[in-house]
Amino acid sequence: MYAFTYNRASGLRQATNLLGSLDDPKLLAGGQTLLPTMKQRLASPANIVDLNMIEGIADIELKGRSVVIGAMARHAEVANSPIVQQNIPALAYLAGLIGDPAVRHRGTIGGSVANNDPNADYPAACLGLGATIITTKRKIAADEFFKGLFETALEGDEIITKISFPVAKKAGYYKFRNQASRFALVGVFVAKRPSEIRVAVTGAGGSGVFRVTSFEEALKKRFSPKSLDGLTVPANGLAGDIHGSAEYRAHLIGVCAKRALEAADK
Amino acid sequence: MALTMSGEVQINASRETVYQALNDTEILKACVPGCEMLEKISDTEFQAISVMKIGPVKARWKGKVTLSDFDPPNGYKISGEGEGGVAGFAKGGASVNLSDKDGGTLLKYDVEAQIGGKLAQLGQRLIAGAAKKMADDFFVKFAAAVNKPA
Repeated sequence: MYAFTYNRASGLRQATNLLGSLDDPKLLAGGQTLLPTMKQRLASPANIVDLNMIEGIADIELKGRSVVIGAMARHAEVANSPIVQQNIPALAYLAGLIGDPAVRHRGTIGGSVANNDPNADYPAACLGLGATIITTKRKIAADEFFKGLFETALEGDEIITKISFPVAKKAGYYKFRNQASRFALVGVFVAKRPSEIRVAVTGAGGSGVFRVTSFEEALKKRFSPKSLDGLTVPANGLAGDIHGSAEYRAHLIGVCAKRALEAADK
Repeated sequence: MALTMSGEVQINASRETVYQALNDTEILKACVPGCEMLEKISDTEFQAISVMKIGPVKARWKGKVTLSDFDPPNGYKISGEGEGGVAGFAKGGASVNLSDKDGGTLLKYDVEAQIGGKLAQLGQRLIAGAAKKMADDFFVKFAAAVNKPA
C-alpha cells in the first residue's frame, strides 16, 4: 500500500481550491478508471479530491429544449431516467450499454467525459448531439472540448458541473463492443438536429472521438441508411491493435453508422 | 509487445542546423515529452528521467538515451531504454533521416519499441495510440524549436 491523502470536498468552490493548492491532486468522481489504475500502481497521485459528497451536481432535468445532466449522475441514473428516455432515448440506451452493472452504478457522466477515453461511449453522444460541457469556469461546445487521446480543453483547476444535450429530432447509437472490456471497438452516434446532421465515432480514432463529415453530407439528402451505400471511411489515421486493424475499424464505422440510423428511425 | 511507427515533419532550416539541433542537449530535453532531467554522461550517452502521463496512467521513467550511427548531416539513431518502476520497462529507438525539401529540411523518423511489464499487459488497447502521440509530440516540438529564429 502506498500513501495518499484523501480530501472530501463539500462544495465545488472547495474542490476548486483544493485542486489549485494541493500537490499532485486528482479528482475522484465514480472512480471506475482512476481506482483500478491506482490499484495496479499505474498511477499514484499524492492527493485525491472526492466529489461524491457535493450536493446538487447529479440532477437530470429538462431545460427548454435541452436535457441537462449533472456531472455526478451515474450511468444507471441516465439509463433509467424518464426525462432522458422520453426526450433523447438514444442517450439513455447508450448509458445502459456502458461497462457492467457495477460500473454503471458507480461511474459518472462527468468522469467519463473528463477522462475522454478513446473507446468510451459518452464522448460520442456529446459530439453526436452537439452537447455543451458546462464547467466551474465556462461553457465549452463538444466540438471544442475533445482534444485527442485522453486530452480535453479542461484546465487543471476546472471541474465539469453539467452537460447539456439539445434534444434532437432523431438520434441513434450503435456500438460494436469488445466482448471482454465492454468498451466500444467502434461506436457510432447519429443525430438529426433542426440545423444540422451529426455523425460521431468513438473507439476507432487514433486520437479519440471524431465526426465523419462525408457521412453527414450524404445524410443531408435523406436521413436513412441507404444514403450511406457505397461510402467508406479511410483507414488512415484510425486505431489498430490486437482487437482489430485500422481497416477493420474503418469497415465497422460504415456498418455501425447504418445500424445507428436504423435505430434512430424506430 | 513490439511497436513500430513512422512519421515525418517539415522544418524550415538547413540540414546542418537541424542536425546540430538533434545533438543539442537543451533542445532534446525541451522536446522529450515530460522530460524532467537529461544529463550528458558521455559524448553519446545521456541519463534521463521523464514522466509519462496518458489519461489516468502516470509513471516516472528512469533510463539511458544513446546516440549512434552518426551520419552528419543526414541523420543518426537515437535509442533509449528505461524502467518505469511497477509500470514495466520500455526500450526502443528512432532512426532519423534528413533530406532537403522545399528550401528546408524534411525529417523522417522510424521508431521501433519494445514495451513489457504491467503497462503492456493492461494498457494494450492504448499503447499504440499513446506511443504514436509521444513520438509525434516530440518531433512537432522539435520542429518548432528549430524553426524559432535563434
